[in-house]
Amino acid sequence: MNTICLQHVLPVVFSGRTDIDSQVWRQELTLRRGEICLVEAGSGRGKTSLCSYLIGHRCDYEGRILFDERDIRTLSQGEWVDVRQHHLSSLFQELRLFPELTALENVEIKNTLTHYKPHREILQWFEQLDIADKAHVLVGRMSYGQQQRVALMRALAQPFDFLLADEPISHLDDANAQAMGQLMLRETRAQGAGLIVTSIGKHLDLPYDNHLVL
Amino acid sequence: MREDRSEYNSQPHPLTERVASADAARLAGRCGTPRRPTRPEAFATPSVDTGSRLLWRLLRQHVSLPQLAAFFMANLLGMFIVMLGCQCYRDVRPLFASDDGILQAQYVIIHKPVSSMSALGMGQTAAFSEEEIRQIEAQSFCRRVGRFSASQYDVYCRIAVKGMPAIGTEMFFESVPDGYIDTPPSDWKFDPSAPAIPIILPRSYLALYNFGFAQTRSLPKLSEGVVGMIELDVTLSGGGRQEKYSARVVGFSSRLNTILVPESFMQWSNERLGGVGEAPSPSRLILEVTNPADDSLVTYLNEQGYETENDQQDAGRAMYVVRLLVAVVVAVGVLICALSFYLLLLSIYLLVEKNTDKLHNLLLIGYSPARTARPYQLLSAGVCLGVWVLAAVLLILVRRYYMNLLWSMFPRLTEGSVWPVLLLGFMLLLAASILNAVVIRRRIIMIWKNKH
Repeated sequence: MNTICLQHVLPVVFSGRTDIDSQVWRQELTLRRGEICLVEAGSGRGKTSLCSYLIGHRCDYEGRILFDERDIRTLSQGEWVDVRQHHLSSLFQELRLFPELTALENVEIKNTLTHYKPHREILQWFEQLDIADKAHVLVGRMSYGQQQRVALMRALAQPFDFLLADEPISHLDDANAQAMGQLMLRETRAQGAGLIVTSIGKHLDLPYDNHLVL
Repeated sequence: MREDRSEYNSQPHPLTERVASADAARLAGRCGTPRRPTRPEAFATPSVDTGSRLLWRLLRQHVSLPQLAAFFMANLLGMFIVMLGCQCYRDVRPLFASDDGILQAQYVIIHKPVSSMSALGMGQTAAFSEEEIRQIEAQSFCRRVGRFSASQYDVYCRIAVKGMPAIGTEMFFESVPDGYIDTPPSDWKFDPSAPAIPIILPRSYLALYNFGFAQTRSLPKLSEGVVGMIELDVTLSGGGRQEKYSARVVGFSSRLNTILVPESFMQWSNERLGGVGEAPSPSRLILEVTNPADDSLVTYLNEQGYETENDQQDAGRAMYVVRLLVAVVVAVGVLICALSFYLLLLSIYLLVEKNTDKLHNLLLIGYSPARTARPYQLLSAGVCLGVWVLAAVLLILVRRYYMNLLWSMFPRLTEGSVWPVLLLGFMLLLAASILNAVVIRRRIIMIWKNKH
């Protein structure tokens, strides 16, 4: 997958509104593989909706979203599974971790599906993100900031053309945000992938190619 | 499209530089189509088994052991009753089966009573008129009616065995349509080009000969097998002609009280030797009935004054009762099974419901509905398999007990196989597992479509 095109996309809940002034909604927009894009907006502007549309979780929007010319409304179930396993990884704002599993198991449950990363590399990530001592702790007992880092590692444990990070550092201090940004950038570059980061104000310090205001 | 790059692209970013020094070549190709890194060689993640184990650890949350145990016990009971009922039926059936296998129990032979008046050639005729046959055909208990056709010529039969004086007797032939002969002997056919007549004799004739005639005349007793090997000389005379044929006894019947020949021979010989006039009305009819012990059948026969050979109905009647009992028992078993399957289905439904969030998250991180459904499908199949194994063991134990009882009463009873019933149970449980698998899959598709 090389491009994601948004053609006059607008969440259905906004459809009656005429006061929409956005660089994303109701625009022609192309996100390219290899580019790093920041989507910034205040709350209630539809950041999470956008991420939900792209990952195929929701489709309550007007307009069209294309993955390489292909309207994503026409993707079959099997194709969506393929997209989620090999082309588009998502770091959800609500994390969607499994509190019954340990931090390491939360990453492994993805990695055993994709067989993408060696076990030791995942352990190195834990060290780089400063939660090596938490690897065997149940995620349900970790702080939100620590959980965000686990969620990032899980998102990286797969091949992808685009990484979608929905407010990835909302609960992190600068040092941890820096470590996370570094890991995210390195993995994205290593795959030659695109990175789409949404932010509510505080955003990752990355070399953005695109800065869109939602 | 408005894009604001100025702030972010004006100079190289410190992070970019660090990454670039580590992997400059890959970065340089950023604008082209970068090569996807291949799977690392030193791939040392836990195996697929670990993946399934993790998935199971996650999805077994909320598995209710009491619910599963309740299903297990209920289904075991139902399955055991179904299998035991079927197995008992199979084991007991040989006791009721007619001993010649030539006629099935649902055939009833009727005739009119022979009164002293008709014996003197007065009053009611002993034959059935067309009108009477039509009436019988119209009855609800009657599936079809076959007519006995009698030979319209004289038959003289002679047995000549070496070293024995020849025995000869006048006799007659009758036939019924071939469809009523349940399992015809292999040579039950007649070929006009090489005429040899196959005959089915009543078993009582042989008994009459062996214990009456042979005894008093010091003649050898004959077994059924030996009789089958003896060639009979048959002389048919009628219509001014006389013809000789050879005949052979191909079978014995305890339930057909006549000398039976194939219908094709009867038609052929009647045309050749019979009179020119119309064939006489049949004096006996063979009925295929839905149930020989049916009230309406018995009432009708009584009303019309028709008689049956009563003993032939006993086995049919007993078999009918056994069949009815087995049907009731199996129906109860099936009901219990159905309810228990419903319990399992509800239990798994509830499980999926309680784990909806987890299932949804698994789907969003790339698990396919099939893979997500598998742990629950395996759980349901595993429980069903457990039920089958235990029900099979119980069945074999209980069967050993009752077969010993039966053998003490009927030593000649042959033991049938238990496999068909085990297979039946397995198929039932397989069907239930497949149904469960489909339902689970559909629930998960619902979760996929955000319709939970």
